[in-house]
Amino acid sequence: MMSPAEAWTLCVDFGTAFSKAAAAPRAAWSRFHPEDVRPLMLSGEEGANPFLLDSAVFVDDDRILFGRAALLRADALAHKRRQALRSFKTLLSLSDLDRALNTGAPASIDPHRVFPMRDLVVLYLAYLLAATERAVRADPVLADADLEHRYAAPAWRGGDSGGLHDSVVRLFGEAEAFRAATGEKILSPQGLSLKAVTDALPRALSQPRSVRLGLVFEATAAAAYTSIGLEESASHMVVVDMGAGTTDIAAIARSGGRMEELPEARVTLKQAGDFIDRVVANLVIERNAWARDAEQQTILWRLLMSRMRDIKESLFADGKAMLRHENRTINVSMRDVAKDRDFREFEKNLQHAYDVSMEAVRDSAIQRKRRGIQTIAVGGGANAPFIQALLQRKPPRSRKLIIESRPATPEWAHAPAFRGNLAPVFPQLSIAIGGALAPDTMLAARPATNPAGSGRSDIPAARD
Amino acid sequence: MPPARKSVKKRSASRAAPPRVGPAVDALAQAAWAEADVALAEALVECDIALSTKSDTVRREALGLLQQALGRAARRRGLARLGRPRALEDYDPALHELAVSAKRAPRRVRIAQAGVTRGSDVLVKARVKAARTKGS
Repeated sequence: MMSPAEAWTLCVDFGTAFSKAAAAPRAAWSRFHPEDVRPLMLSGEEGANPFLLDSAVFVDDDRILFGRAALLRADALAHKRRQALRSFKTLLSLSDLDRALNTGAPASIDPHRVFPMRDLVVLYLAYLLAATERAVRADPVLADADLEHRYAAPAWRGGDSGGLHDSVVRLFGEAEAFRAATGEKILSPQGLSLKAVTDALPRALSQPRSVRLGLVFEATAAAAYTSIGLEESASHMVVVDMGAGTTDIAAIARSGGRMEELPEARVTLKQAGDFIDRVVANLVIERNAWARDAEQQTILWRLLMSRMRDIKESLFADGKAMLRHENRTINVSMRDVAKDRDFREFEKNLQHAYDVSMEAVRDSAIQRKRRGIQTIAVGGGANAPFIQALLQRKPPRSRKLIIESRPATPEWAHAPAFRGNLAPVFPQLSIAIGGALAPDTMLAARPATNPAGSGRSDIPAARD
Repeated sequence: MPPARKSVKKRSASRAAPPRVGPAVDALAQAAWAEADVALAEALVECDIALSTKSDTVRREALGLLQQALGRAARRRGLARLGRPRALEDYDPALHELAVSAKRAPRRVRIAQAGVTRGSDVLVKARVKAARTKGS
C-alpha cells in the first residue's frame, strides 16, 4: 500500500460549468498504477455527482452564495434578470487579465455594484480551495500526504503565459487568505453574509497568503493521461477541446522527457458547444410550426436549453434525439443538424482551423524527423461525430506520417481496480487527472510562490 | 437470457489492490448512478406509456423515448454492447451463450443478439449460433 507520507500532486481544473480536482503520486509518471489515481470529492451535495463542484457565485440581497446554492438562487430570480457569475475559466484565460479583473460586474450579477470581477473570482477560488481542503482531509491517503498543487488552463491566447500565471497565482494567494479568515462557513448552502465578505475581503486582497502553484496546459494534461503507461508514444499530439464557449486546438511535441506546446499550432474558435446548442434549438423551433408566437417559442427554447446536454448526447451517440413537450414528441436528427447552414459554416471553419494546426504539427514532425502524430478530443464535444471525423483528417504532404486517433477515455481507466466506475465519469474528470499525472517536465510553469503585496493593478475599475 | 458476471480478464489484481482505490470507487459509482438515475426514471415512465396506450403512434414514440433513455442510462453507467449482430467470431464461452445447446463447442459462431459489458465484466453474454465452417 502507498505510504501516506509519499509525495502527491493535486491538480484543479476549473471548467466553465464545474470545477474538478484529482491527485496522483508524484512518481506516477515513472511507476504508473491506475488505481493510485484519486479524483477528489469536492461537492457535498446529496445525490449529486460528488466530483463536480458547480462553478458559480451569486450576489444576493445580503449574502453571497456559492456552487449549487448560487445556481438555484439565480434560477429562482431569473425573472428579475439576476444571474450567477459562472465563466471564471473564460475570464482567467483573457490575455488582458488585469483589466478584465478590474472591470465591475454587471448589475445582473452584482446589484450592489460594489464588486469588481476580481473580488468575485477571489471569492469563488476561496470556495474552491475550501472544498478541495475538505476533500483532502476526508481522503485517508491524501490527508497526511505531502501535496503539491497545480491548476490546468487552456494555452494562453496572448502568449504571455508567465505573466498570466503570476496573476492567477496572486488570485489564489488572495483566495487562500480569504478562506483562512472565513473558515468552512463558505461551504455552507447559506454562503456568507455580505458584511462578512466586505469585512474580510479587503484584508485578504491586501495581504495574500503564500501559495505554491504550478500550471499545466489542458492539452498537456490530455497528452499525459493518454500516453501514461504506454511503452511507445507518438512524438506529437493534437488535442481538440470543444467546450461550451470555445473550441481550442492545441498541439504538443515530445522532446526527450519534455513536452512543449507548439504555439504555431494553437487555434481557438469562438464557436463551440453553446453555438451547437443554438443551432439545434433554432432548427427545432423552425421545424415545429405549432410554436408560432413568441411566447410559445420562448417556452420551447427554454425547454430545449434545459435538456440540451441530453439532446446532444443522444444526437452524437445515436444520430437522433427525441423529447416530450406537452402532448407532442419532438424529433431532431444529426442529419438535420448537418444540413443546417450555420452548422455547415461552423464545420468548415473547424476543419480549416484543424488543418492549419495539423500543418504546423506536420512541419514540426518532419523537422524533427519523427513520423507519429496522435490526435485526441476532450471536453463536452469529444464524442461528436464531426469531431471524431476531424481526428482522422490528414494534412497535405504528409504521406509518410502516421496519424492515430486516441480514445477520449484511455484503456487504463477501465482497470479492474475501478470496477467499471471510473470510465463513465472519466471525460468529466480527465483534465484534472491528466494534470495530476503529468511530470514536472511537462508543466507550462513550475510551482511558484505568489509574490507578496497587493495584486491590484493601477488600471481603474470600469463598468461593462 | 440469464445474467452473467464473468470477467474477461483475471481479477486477481483488483482483489490484491483495493486499499489503494479505497472509498473513491464507491463515490465513482455514486457519481455514475447520479448521472443515470434521471434517465432510468424517464425510461420507466415511457415504458408505462408504451404498455398502456392503444395508439400505435403513441406506442412507437414511447418506445423510441424508452430506447433513448435506456441508452443514456447505460452510457452513464459505462455499459457497452458486446458483439455486432450477424458478425462472425471465434467461440468463447466467457463471452458467448449458444442459442441452441450443442454437444460439442463450435469453433466459429455468428452473433444473434449482442450482449452487454461494463468495463472488463461481461454482464450479459452475446447470444450466438454455431456458424458453418468449411469442413463442418
